[in-house]
Amino acid sequence: MNAVNPIITITNVVKYFGSFRALDDVSLTVEPGQKVVVLGPSGSGKSTLLRTINQLEEISSGSIVIDGQEISDPKNDINRIREEVGMVFQSFNLFRHKTVLENLTLAPIKLKKEPVKEAEKRAMELLEKVGMADKAASFPVQLSGGQQQRVAIARALAMTPKIMLFDEPTSALDPEMIGEVLEVMVTLAREGMTMVVVTHEMGFAREVGDKVVFMDEGKIIEIAPPDQFFDHPENERTRKFLEQIL
Amino acid sequence: MREKKVVIEVGDGAAIPDPNDEGLFTAWRISFFGTIAIIVYLLVAKPDPYVDIIKFLPDGIVVTFKVTFASIGLALILGLIAGLGRISKNRWFNLAASTYIEVVRGIPLLVQLFYIYFALGNLIRVPDMVAAIIAMGFCYGAYMGEVFRAGINSIDDGQTEASLSLGFNRSQTMRYVILPQAWRTILPPVGNEFIALLKDTSLVSILAVSDILRRGREFASESFLYFETYTMIALIYLLITLVLSKILSNVENRLSHYERR
Repeated sequence: MNAVNPIITITNVVKYFGSFRALDDVSLTVEPGQKVVVLGPSGSGKSTLLRTINQLEEISSGSIVIDGQEISDPKNDINRIREEVGMVFQSFNLFRHKTVLENLTLAPIKLKKEPVKEAEKRAMELLEKVGMADKAASFPVQLSGGQQQRVAIARALAMTPKIMLFDEPTSALDPEMIGEVLEVMVTLAREGMTMVVVTHEMGFAREVGDKVVFMDEGKIIEIAPPDQFFDHPENERTRKFLEQIL
Repeated sequence: MREKKVVIEVGDGAAIPDPNDEGLFTAWRISFFGTIAIIVYLLVAKPDPYVDIIKFLPDGIVVTFKVTFASIGLALILGLIAGLGRISKNRWFNLAASTYIEVVRGIPLLVQLFYIYFALGNLIRVPDMVAAIIAMGFCYGAYMGEVFRAGINSIDDGQTEASLSLGFNRSQTMRYVILPQAWRTILPPVGNEFIALLKDTSLVSILAVSDILRRGREFASESFLYFETYTMIALIYLLITLVLSKILSNVENRLSHYERR
């Protein structure tokens, strides 16, 4: 292995919802530029794991270090850490009262104190990149699911994060819109963004992933490069999962 | 996309004429034009005493509106604080807000008016109208608190999560993302409370505040024309309420149109 310092280090993380053990002693590292794809049946804890990385879920025990900062340490400002970690949601969650352009500029203007003109210029560049520049003045309700999700990706990128988290970004989309969103994600991956992606898109996992993480019942069952994972899965449960979906 | 649709019904203001509700819409027209017709008829057919009565009342109408606007302003501020308190994770803030709401809602408005008026009078000397406004605002703030809480809760959690994930803290999220959206859910019931409050200001006539009702009582006690005076007062309250509910209905329609585009 090379000696690159991981940008995300998850160590022995346990997460309870009430008495339910949603994450059971999970450890994982992500290096800068790596694309990690998390697979698993629903209820396996994969979304919970993703959401602990930017502390949308607080962990019960263990440690998560992002870019050298322990996120559960009250001395570290979680809001500043979150600026470094973009997140894309299954249900898009665009700000409904803001135009597409305002969705992108709100955080940079308010949090990074960027001048409005500059923020708008950069926002337009990002919209250009996701193919949504012509909808800059529209409101989210006027857009299709695929369009909303592309805007949501651009909104996260507007804060120039070091890491991007994707929580089942295509699961709420009609089939014909999945492609346009995956295309944007592939482009982002090619540019070297560090990505952690929870998805059911096996094609994407194989094409883009540097490593595939398979979870079941709150545990990480297997971590492997995509070729090995899909062609020679080691674990019995992994094989069963792959049989069901492929 | 998940979408919570919440309509907050607080039915103590006035029936807001909804163009989709034909019965209510027609009822509004009958009431509105009927009221105007009766007022005009009384003024023309019996100018003595009705013209005298109506000449006596405008000062009172101004006072009623002053008390209403000032109280609703105070109630909105208190309501926002109470609503935020009710959803706050800070135990003490939450407890204080909940207790305020519980206590205020458990005491009749008239009793509160007397209490605040005389309790306040014992400590500091404030003008009658100010005491009335504080009492009305304090009481309606509690009801408004529940409206704010429901409005804030009606916004999808995903909006909060998206905002937090960008680096906004909780209060920035409330200010930039949640409240601007909650406002649309909150506005109709707030309008309703506004009308309810306007009607309830008639209670302040007891505290020597010269509102519509007080002016009417003054007129009646001199002329002994109780029936005629209170007829005119009822008609004027009704007219004001009907006009306000129509304005509210129009505002609501414009808002829902904005949401639909």
